[in-house]
Amino acid sequence: MLEVRDLQVAFGAVAPLSGVSFSLAKGETLGIVGESGSGKSLTAMSVMGLLPLSGGRITAGSIMFDGQELTTLAEPAYRKLRGGRLGMITQNPMTSLDPLQKIGPQVDDVSRLHLGKTAAEARARTVEILGTLRIPEPALICDRYPHQMSGGMKQRIVIAMALAADPDLLVADEPTTALDVTVQAQIIRLLDDLVKERDLALVLITHDMSVVAQTCDKVVVMYAGRAVERGPVQAIFDAPQHPYTQALIGCIPKGLSEDEHLIGIPGTVPTVLNYPKGCPFHPRCDRAQEICTTERPAFVHNGDSAAACHFAGSAP
Amino acid sequence: MTSMTGTAARAMAGFGNTSLGRAFGSWLGKIAGGFLVLLLLTAIFAPWITPFDYAAQDLMNGNAPPGWPHLLGTDQFGRDVLSRVIYGARTSLSVSATAIAISITVGMTLGAAAGYFGGLFERAVMTVVDLTWSFPDILIALIFVAIIGPGLTSTTFAIAIAYLAQFTRLTRAQIVRLKRETFIEATINLGAKPHHILLKHLLPNAIAPVIVVGMLAIGDGIVLEATLGFFGLGAQPPTPSWGAMMSSGTAQLFLSPWVIIFPGVVVAVTVIAVNLFGDELIRALDIRDRIRGA
Amino acid sequence: MTNLLEVRNLSKQFTSSGGPFRRARAMHAVNDVSFDLPKGRVIGVVGESGCGKSTLARLILRLIEPTAGTLHFDGEDLRAKSPAQMRGLRARMQMVFQDPYSAIDPRYTLQRAVMEPFVVQGRKTIGSEADEVAALLEMVGLNPGLASSFPHQISGGQKQRVGIARALALRPSLLVLDEPTASLDVSVQAQIISLLEQLRDDLGLTYLFISHDLSLVRYFCDEILVMYLGRVVEALPDTELAARHPYTKTLMDSTFAPDPKQRRVIAPLEGEVPSPFDLPPGCAFADRCPQATDICRSETPELAERGGHPVACHHPI
Repeated sequence: MLEVRDLQVAFGAVAPLSGVSFSLAKGETLGIVGESGSGKSLTAMSVMGLLPLSGGRITAGSIMFDGQELTTLAEPAYRKLRGGRLGMITQNPMTSLDPLQKIGPQVDDVSRLHLGKTAAEARARTVEILGTLRIPEPALICDRYPHQMSGGMKQRIVIAMALAADPDLLVADEPTTALDVTVQAQIIRLLDDLVKERDLALVLITHDMSVVAQTCDKVVVMYAGRAVERGPVQAIFDAPQHPYTQALIGCIPKGLSEDEHLIGIPGTVPTVLNYPKGCPFHPRCDRAQEICTTERPAFVHNGDSAAACHFAGSAP
Repeated sequence: MTSMTGTAARAMAGFGNTSLGRAFGSWLGKIAGGFLVLLLLTAIFAPWITPFDYAAQDLMNGNAPPGWPHLLGTDQFGRDVLSRVIYGARTSLSVSATAIAISITVGMTLGAAAGYFGGLFERAVMTVVDLTWSFPDILIALIFVAIIGPGLTSTTFAIAIAYLAQFTRLTRAQIVRLKRETFIEATINLGAKPHHILLKHLLPNAIAPVIVVGMLAIGDGIVLEATLGFFGLGAQPPTPSWGAMMSSGTAQLFLSPWVIIFPGVVVAVTVIAVNLFGDELIRALDIRDRIRGA
Repeated sequence: MTNLLEVRNLSKQFTSSGGPFRRARAMHAVNDVSFDLPKGRVIGVVGESGCGKSTLARLILRLIEPTAGTLHFDGEDLRAKSPAQMRGLRARMQMVFQDPYSAIDPRYTLQRAVMEPFVVQGRKTIGSEADEVAALLEMVGLNPGLASSFPHQISGGQKQRVGIARALALRPSLLVLDEPTASLDVSVQAQIISLLEQLRDDLGLTYLFISHDLSLVRYFCDEILVMYLGRVVEALPDTELAARHPYTKTLMDSTFAPDPKQRRVIAPLEGEVPSPFDLPPGCAFADRCPQATDICRSETPELAERGGHPVACHHPI
């Protein structure tokens, strides 16, 4: 469904993103995980063709969506795709909705625009979608304004808008970060069910390894604008090859054992302006050697997964 | 010699890094700022650079058009327009700057107290201050003229009162915004007394936007001073003031238009320069949204 | 073990005054909260946004005045203290704030920020000022060379370390941690948590740890208080105990394990936290609770020991 190859993005002279590759089939969920500043949101914006909005452009690589090359696609054609076959869910539900418009018309507009529905058909569809998202009394909700609803409810409306045009691919950028724990669980479950019921392809962008563990089929771990490890979720959690992936998993308190200790990763995430030479992770890596400071590691494949580390495969 | 240029260069570089220096960074900032510096120097050194005594009358040579020796011509009494415009800069700038300084001092004190203590005190202060805003500036000036007679003192007070509300509201808004910042709560939690919070945290963080708005207000103050002078409520003869000059020029508008045109142009250019430079300063300090929020 | 902090029936009610088109409304941000914090222990307060956990932190430090209840810190009745006495006492009870980005005055260098506690309390440092600053920065794992930096020149994690250094400057015995890692990246969160663990051991500190993250609280704390809409609904004296309140159970179920093998098919809780204004009588959780019966909608359950540990539920699990 979606295949990204060696994606590189530049803003003027700086290249915050390079060498990102992944692929995704129908009914699959791909997690893109990393800390703030790792380039995971930029990856989402590249797929959605939203880079020009903030002054960036794709300088290399390709994005194939259902056999169609997106990097060379003209804006009018992209506009038809976006919100149509490509759905997007943003991080902050509070600002994704027009505060002056009722919920109904906001969701109706999507299917009227992309599927050419009449007003009545669109409303029927809106009510049906809101129902499938387990929103109580969907017909009544249509007459409400966004400010009359809670954060979790607003995020459901944003999801409804993304679903209204019957997309094949959904890109969700930190869909639950702004929400409470119990609501986060609801939304994550909802997305999971949608992928199965509608045979969607879902790209889930998150900083939370436990969300990835619970929902994704595949993972791409990003650090300093690069993919450092990718593979099936089970393999990545069972035997992470990249020290950064290992550290990221080690940062999450797992359970109740007394001898468990959170270590954290020393140092700070580099910014676009001071990406380190060689392996981007070497200044924070406890296994770094001479070679890591000078030479960028290539991907070492191991079954379905691959890690960009000079010492991938050798046990720590 | 080399070391001296080095020091100068470093001093220049240091200035370039300050907010004021950055405001001079763009070409617009350079032109507007350069004009204002020139105007200020002219006002300060007026006695040395004016070709004639601003009050010296030469009735035989009244209403002379621009030319030599009167570069900008003379008025109906034969006084040199250029000399009067230069001295007028002194009057306008000093009256406006004094008035705004009073306004800022009183406004910041009231606004900070209102914003910090809140409650009934805040409502009382803000109501009174808002009242001054609802009177037209001219009316306030008339009240002062009625009490202490026409002249620069009433003009100064009228301008000070006219802008008081602006500074009080701006300061109050800043203080209220800053009070919600975590570092204020953290400092209270260290056991700090109210005066420590106000003097070491709230006011230092609130001052930048007030200074910039104050600078813009000096431009408006010049216009208000000229208006009052035009109506004869401001500077009294023979004190030269741009407004009073234009007022006396109206009588000979068609006979000798230079008498009204030159002071008018100077007022307009000054106000434009103040506003352009103020905008550059806002940009340099990165406080646009804080000023709009007031 | 002596109690460093004793909280009894602490309540805070906010009222919004009515207007011509609005009626006056009351909100119980914190409702009848009691607990003991023994010296050297770490108690975690966990709950979702709006449950009153941050208000509780501020009530304990008297940054907000309680409406009712008593507070004893190290045997002293905090509510009986005058503002001046309270200012002096603050040296012994400090707080680390949620948002490190605004916790330091942007115009202050780190040196000035770390020295401020001494200035405010009118205390002299034992050694020279520079030595004290260097020692404090080193204690929280920062390079003393950063002393002349401004907050905007350092990262969020480093800012939070400065916040901790400021809080520890006067050697307090109690540290209230209000979601100290909620706005930080996971790798930095783990750094800060391990720093806090180390400081507790080195300095013998007592912590009250406020968080929305149950797995973090279970990892970091000795005891847990679960809050829902201003009330403590369950007090777990041991983090390994199973939940007895349906809400605690939901919280535990909503926490994802970082292991794909432990994928749980959870039935997520329906609905969301209701508005804290004008709560109906009965258990605040009744509307979302699968076990709710008539009594839950009419009678508020007391926090009481019902076979094991205290739980506020008519039908504990």
